[in-house]
Amino acid sequence: MGVCVMGVGISGIAPTSSGVSYREMIKSAAEAAYQDAGIEPEDLDGAVSVEEDLVSGYSIADEYVPDQIGCVRKPIYTVCGDFLQGVASAVMQIQTGRFKRVVVESYSKASNILEKDELLTFAFDPVFDRLGVSPHFLAGIEMQRFLDLSLHSSGDVAEVVTRNRARAIGNPMAPHGSRLSPADVLGGRPVATPLTDTMIARHSDGAICVVLGSDDVIETARKPIGIAGTGWASGNSIIQRRHHGVSHGTLLAGRMAYAEAGIEVPTEQLDVYYLSDLYAHRQLMHMDALGLTDDQLPVINPNGGLQGLGDLIEASSGVQLYDAVKQLRGEAGAHQVDGATRALVHGWRGLPTDTAAVTILDAERR
Amino acid sequence: MSRVACIGAGMTRFVRRAEETPGELAALAVERALEDAGLDIDDIDCVVHGTAPDAFDGIHMNGEHLIAGSGGVNKPYMRHFVGGGTGIFSPIHGWMHVASGKFKNCLVVTEEKMSPCVPHPAGAFLTIFDHTTEQPLFLTLIHIFAIEMARMMHVYGYTEEEIAWVSVNNKLNAMDHPAAQIAKKITIKDVMDSPMLSWPVKRLDISPTSDGACAIILANERVARNHCKHPVFIEGVGYRLDTAYWCTRDLAFPTYVSMAAKDAYEMAGISRPEDQIDVWEPYDPFDYKALHHMNGLLMDKTGRKVKDLLFSGAFARDGSHPLCPSGGALGVGNPIAATGLMKISELYFQLSGQAGDRQVAKNAHRGIAQSWGDLMQVGCVVIMGSEGAMPLFSRQSPWNDVKPEDLPGTGIRSVKDVPHVEYQPNLPYSWDNGFALTTYLEGMAKGKLRGSYCTECGRMMIPPREFCEICNLRSVDMYFDLPDSGVVETFTISNINWASLPLPEGEQDIFAVIAIDGAASQMGLVHKLGEIEGKDVEFGMRVKAVWKPEAEREGTITDIMYFRPMADDEVVDAQPTMIKPSELTSVSARSFPGKIPLDYAYTAGIGGRKFFGDLAEGKLSGTWCEEREAVLIPPAHFCESGMHTMDPEQDARELDASSGYVVAATQVFEDRAGNLLDEPIWIAQVQFPGALGCLFGRLLVSNDQDIEAGMNVALVATDKVGGEHVCFKPV
Repeated sequence: MGVCVMGVGISGIAPTSSGVSYREMIKSAAEAAYQDAGIEPEDLDGAVSVEEDLVSGYSIADEYVPDQIGCVRKPIYTVCGDFLQGVASAVMQIQTGRFKRVVVESYSKASNILEKDELLTFAFDPVFDRLGVSPHFLAGIEMQRFLDLSLHSSGDVAEVVTRNRARAIGNPMAPHGSRLSPADVLGGRPVATPLTDTMIARHSDGAICVVLGSDDVIETARKPIGIAGTGWASGNSIIQRRHHGVSHGTLLAGRMAYAEAGIEVPTEQLDVYYLSDLYAHRQLMHMDALGLTDDQLPVINPNGGLQGLGDLIEASSGVQLYDAVKQLRGEAGAHQVDGATRALVHGWRGLPTDTAAVTILDAERR
Repeated sequence: MSRVACIGAGMTRFVRRAEETPGELAALAVERALEDAGLDIDDIDCVVHGTAPDAFDGIHMNGEHLIAGSGGVNKPYMRHFVGGGTGIFSPIHGWMHVASGKFKNCLVVTEEKMSPCVPHPAGAFLTIFDHTTEQPLFLTLIHIFAIEMARMMHVYGYTEEEIAWVSVNNKLNAMDHPAAQIAKKITIKDVMDSPMLSWPVKRLDISPTSDGACAIILANERVARNHCKHPVFIEGVGYRLDTAYWCTRDLAFPTYVSMAAKDAYEMAGISRPEDQIDVWEPYDPFDYKALHHMNGLLMDKTGRKVKDLLFSGAFARDGSHPLCPSGGALGVGNPIAATGLMKISELYFQLSGQAGDRQVAKNAHRGIAQSWGDLMQVGCVVIMGSEGAMPLFSRQSPWNDVKPEDLPGTGIRSVKDVPHVEYQPNLPYSWDNGFALTTYLEGMAKGKLRGSYCTECGRMMIPPREFCEICNLRSVDMYFDLPDSGVVETFTISNINWASLPLPEGEQDIFAVIAIDGAASQMGLVHKLGEIEGKDVEFGMRVKAVWKPEAEREGTITDIMYFRPMADDEVVDAQPTMIKPSELTSVSARSFPGKIPLDYAYTAGIGGRKFFGDLAEGKLSGTWCEEREAVLIPPAHFCESGMHTMDPEQDARELDASSGYVVAATQVFEDRAGNLLDEPIWIAQVQFPGALGCLFGRLLVSNDQDIEAGMNVALVATDKVGGEHVCFKPV
């Protein structure tokens, strides 16, 4: 059974969102997605929220999901993962044949978390991996290993920041656009060598909702976009036995999505790519894992990526998916990639994980 | 849609405190499940994991941390979550993976380690409440359970003694369960005589806090039939999540459970559940909950069916409607997510004739399991069925004879008895109030209760929202000052605080759900009662807010000190008054402070005990993995590649602690919270010849020293436990 993106909605993205509660923020994204999909909340068969407890500041965050998406007493669950894992879960839900329309929701109120690094440290193994230093130490190790083992240089990493932040200047959705030279990036404040502060995406607030539907119910949607493949995978969670120069999670998630979408040569069969660049070196690592080369750089993260949009935590790959849908509809504005019909969206869960997910969208598959 | 069957199950013992880490517990359950299904981890296509709040295990993004222990390395792995309902939702998520046709099989793993949260895991429940409107009241889960139990007793006319039968029954049933934590033959008098925690909830009405893990394997019909002689099929699933505004709900009848059950019945083709289901495993974290949920599962709002069954003895294991033959959460224990899957495992055992001494008397073909959680708002239901006649006790299954000592899992008396790490996270927040709550909280500062009105459904809502959650998100623009009086819908008289610790001698808190005058029916809020003794509180009593003096009000729910009883002749203005809502400006757009107020004590686990034991003597060993033919470091209780257990003591291989070499190193300039360090710290990834894996730790060098890959380093001996104390020095 085919599944399509029927509608997308976003609250807007900003470094802070004072004056708007998380409920109000999510509601605005949900309403926009429902309008885009041509449905009312009552038309939904279920919902998937994508969030982690302590990001929301609750111990059971999924309690606070149903109201603002208009889904009280509907089948709802939370995926504590990347937004694209939530999408994959919703696709499977529809493919069981028991559900027709499902909304996937996620949000970030990162500005309300006053000690973000402390929270990130709390995600590390309590016995072996909380080393009393910045949790970004692991990104420093990763970047070091990646540069040791790949053909990339620290200059290439800096170029990722320079390119993506500059693209964000032209994207009204991206609050972190800036004009930086590679030297600015390399000479930035060191956090965990060779990683500088400038290489780490800044945090943003925002909410995203995506309505998915089976092929037989998409007639209400303005411009549905087909989901051609989903993949997700996790590398080793024991960091002592993980290869830090490679993203195995991305490699396996990419293979799974490619196989389902019938992609044999990703550099030729896809038109635009959205990759996680939460840490600049990660974009290059993810390109390697997905079989992409420097030739694709003009069409990788044309919206400025997460360097430009910001780190929206679980919602990060959701806002990337939003832009991918806009691209395939020809509505991406100044960063429209001409003739784009197939897009790859990738999400990485951030430190300390090697969990990744890939969704392949196809405007012509429906 | 592919049919999906359970083809194997495994679990640890449920214990109050486990020495094993969460990952080790999960791995022990997974190893058992694989063994039961006759599969290797390489045969598994995908893994789903269920674990309830991260606040228990004390690890943010706990699902990511549990990948290795759940057999999820290099596989599609996903964690799902519906609070206390997670255990039964886990097989539903696994069912989706297989029924969609995407995967042939799915390993479903659940784990909960509640004991790291100190002084008592119940403290974690403070943070399940709304951070702005409820957490300042310092509620805990037992309070709202008690509030719900009292409401159910009031509406359906149950006595405490009648409800206590469930606790007696379940603890007795659990005596035959090998994983059981608190199986015991007790009497109704024992329950009634146990300490009153928060009326009407007594100690023996409640399941314990527990550590444990459970795993099952699901497969599509073809794999199941080829691989298993006694597959038990998932026939129906349902799950529903109600509003977060719990004070607006009917607390006596779980509509969300009833709706979830209806979904499952429709899928399974069941029209008369009371006649068509043989085994019942409703979630029973408290004794009343089993009855409460049975009302929902039988879709009977009158409650008569459940009362008849209870009083006729039908719920006994040899009765017509065996209730919790496993022993349930009340007897086997309640490691929350694992409890739900234990119930699914029980259906698998019962319906395939593998339940041993717990086998129900009737010839069982179909069973139902249900879980519940969040703010008393989620219901998850799974119906499972076997095919054809199931000869009783005929299975040549090891599960028929499993004894407690056959199951893995190490209970300990105190975390302090084993190597452990103490940790205090500093997790402050400041929540943007937004438009509706700004109006609400500004009202508090002015001594006013405020609501908003939906013109579509005609509900006056409190706390106010700027949209209506039941009217397709219709915008709500009309705000009102409401009378600060109302009616006690239900209440509890508590002897414990938010962390489940006793209140000072002679003190009690009375928490009540109060339906506010002028608001829609049953639309209310939770608050304290004052100027009254617990024994004098009554359902339907009229009460009025007692506000702090104006100068002391801060714009929070605690600007109301409590609600006091109203005199019979006391008159209130019951007319809501429309107001101009607060204008949001850069000044008025405030945020509300919050904090996760928890401390942790983590056991080092079986692997960690060996590592830090050795480190105290300046030694290093790895654990020999036969399958990988490699020595793993750090020492491990399980191999995440083959998902089999190892013994870090017996399988130890000594390594040269001074033979380390730096693979990568980073100079870190910030502390764990992102504050600049006075002096940067070198962190190194260090490998040791002959070992698979590496160690991370501090490199004790001066900051101007050049660090090169390959540099020879030695582990530095220390008797302290925790990664923070692992250091290397150049050789």
